[in-house]
Amino acid sequence: MLPLNFAILKLFEEGEEYDTIDVMEKLQGQYSKFRAFKFNAVQESLMSAEKNGMLDEVRYGMDANENLRVYYKANDYGMDMIKNYIK
Amino acid sequence: MNDNPSVSAPELPLAESADLKEARHARRSRFMKKGIIIALGSGVLYGVYSACLLAATGSGSWIDWYGAGNWYADGVAPALVGGLPFSFLLAILILGALGSGLNDFISSIWMIGKAGVKGKFKDFLRCYKSKPGAVMAVCALIGGPVASTAYLIALTMAGPIATPISALCPAIGAIIGRILFKQKLNFRMVVGILICITATFMIGSTAFSGTEINVHFLIGLLIALISALGWGIEGAVAGFGTSVMDYEISISIRQFTSGVFTLFILTPTLFIIAGHLGLYPSMLIDAFRGPFMAEGASGASFLVLATPLIFFLISGLAAGLSFGFWYKGNSMCGAALGMACNGTFSFWVPFFSFLICGLYLGWGFVNGSLDASTGYVLAPIQWAAAIVMVIGIFLIAVNPLELFKKKKEA
Repeated sequence: MLPLNFAILKLFEEGEEYDTIDVMEKLQGQYSKFRAFKFNAVQESLMSAEKNGMLDEVRYGMDANENLRVYYKANDYGMDMIKNYIK
Repeated sequence: MNDNPSVSAPELPLAESADLKEARHARRSRFMKKGIIIALGSGVLYGVYSACLLAATGSGSWIDWYGAGNWYADGVAPALVGGLPFSFLLAILILGALGSGLNDFISSIWMIGKAGVKGKFKDFLRCYKSKPGAVMAVCALIGGPVASTAYLIALTMAGPIATPISALCPAIGAIIGRILFKQKLNFRMVVGILICITATFMIGSTAFSGTEINVHFLIGLLIALISALGWGIEGAVAGFGTSVMDYEISISIRQFTSGVFTLFILTPTLFIIAGHLGLYPSMLIDAFRGPFMAEGASGASFLVLATPLIFFLISGLAAGLSFGFWYKGNSMCGAALGMACNGTFSFWVPFFSFLICGLYLGWGFVNGSLDASTGYVLAPIQWAAAIVMVIGIFLIAVNPLELFKKKKEA
């Protein structure tokens, strides 16, 4: 089992776009019992990855529940880091 | 936003409405502000850590080990317990490693406990075995046994003024980043580095102001440069290592690696080199003893008995929080701004040293009044130099023109 932060970033390995809610849904099965598996923590993790140049913000909008959805995608540097550094 | 949303991801249009842009801007702004507050908090906590470590290693048995008075004030080499004939160099290395190792080890207990309470203990173990974890462990060895021990030795030999020298680490980090990672080093950054170096000379100039040049003080300043170099490397490399790891796990790995290596490998090795390994266990216990406990007196209050222990507990907690916030702040508002905010510790260390050591422990007083020669009451030029250094650090990290531009845009 991967550490939570590694698992979050590994989701972006295939070049898909995800936002915080998507990430939580994808990891729900394995990490739902983690006390650290909280919306704000996952969101901060994604925003930090963006700040550190690994993920790019690709689009954003409001969903039907009036939640702001911000989607990220790994750039070339991020992809290289996720594939070769996170081991 | 609700905390456990379960809606499926919709196909969202590209953002165009003003409200949407505002919501996105507010989200980013909250994130950035939180990062800046955390990074500034790391500077304040660094002041608490330094002052308490200075207090811990200046109380109880440590008074006997270092000898009466301050090295930087009177230039007297320490006489260790029982008058053992350690050389001056070995004595400062052993005491520096012991103090720094105790601090980092206690700190690791606090930080692993904190990670455990938040349900991250298993992730701590998993990360330790990973590549980013290994990078963090290497950083811990550079930042801990090397830089922290050097910092403690420098604090002991040169007093709180060692701090602004060690605060050169962002400048050194920028140079290392340029060499190792080909990071940009522009004219503004070079000017910032030169300002920091100028401030260092302003601080150092006070060592020459007396009638006699104090050699131990000057050696202390040089050793402080080693800590700046070590932390500069740590800042540059750990930033890379922690970009994928939770900061509470990063700091747990950092403090545990550093504490165990310094306290249980480096320190006994130094005792072996000195030919007195037998002293290691007793000094490890005596390091926590307060003044009255060392003399076996009864009836003294717990606070007095356990002065070094209490200060080590506080310094360990503050160190872990400070370094952790440093990593977290760097990852949230960018390493450059994060390091600049953390660099304010060159204010906070003399400030808390004055409060805790100078006033509370009374080390700043001579014949009942505050005296600058104690090293706990800084001369005006030293305060001015600390301000100049903070300006230099900010210049390295932030383009003032961009700050104005952002303000205008907002």
